[in-house]
Amino acid sequence: MRSGIRSALSGALLLALTVLPACNVVRITLNKPLSPEHVSFIVPGQTTFSEVVASLGAPDALTESASGFVATYRFLDLKYSRVNFGWLLRPWSPVDPDLVISRTGLGTEALQVVYNADGIVTQHGFLRHLSGPRFNPYPF
Amino acid sequence: MSAIRPVLLFVIVEILFQGCAFNRGTLGEDLKPEAIEAIKKGTTTRSEVLALLGAPDRMLQLNGRDVFQYYRYDGKAGSLLLIIVNFSRVSIKSDDVFVVLNREGVVEDVISSRRTEGMEFRFWPFGD
Repeated sequence: MRSGIRSALSGALLLALTVLPACNVVRITLNKPLSPEHVSFIVPGQTTFSEVVASLGAPDALTESASGFVATYRFLDLKYSRVNFGWLLRPWSPVDPDLVISRTGLGTEALQVVYNADGIVTQHGFLRHLSGPRFNPYPF
Repeated sequence: MSAIRPVLLFVIVEILFQGCAFNRGTLGEDLKPEAIEAIKKGTTTRSEVLALLGAPDRMLQLNGRDVFQYYRYDGKAGSLLLIIVNFSRVSIKSDDVFVVLNREGVVEDVISSRRTEGMEFRFWPFGD
């Protein structure tokens, strides 16, 4: 009985080591990523600075412009995934071989809201329009 | 056999769930809500702001007015370390306070937000 369980356990472990390679899935976010839906309430010529702050919070930066000022909201979404196929050889190799493929997707974005001197939004837009990165370790 | 099952389950769980890790990093001092609430528009002066919050992290000019910016960053990282797969999630958020002073050195506006409030340690990297 015991040898049967030991064999089953050994088989499961070997299967795990051989069939399922070592993987790492990492995600790093800076502030809450904003989408066009989050800023759909902003109407140029109507929405005020305090209304934007009430909805989105304080910006990360305020800078002066010729006609008023600019509020910038920065956010980041980084996705990293890695697979080490060297694990396939671990049960039979005296050393730990590595055959690693990995990929990092860095989605940096910023929302810029331009205000006039009275604090009314004149225009707004995302600095870059990146389609969000995906977890995909294939680098080629 | 019934006594072996829990042991077998424990062994499998031990093999698969190797460990977990919690890490935290902060940048800057905590911006105390009571200090921010003590700043009153139209009455609090520049020197009082400095006494309450200290020197600003950044100073800028906005349409002829001085703006003091204070910020603090808080990062929480959670890792679920399994033998065959590791999941990690790092969340970083910032608290920001902007104090707008008029030409007379009196507070005209205070803009603040605490994004770090309620931020939790997370492991799962998928989804929101």
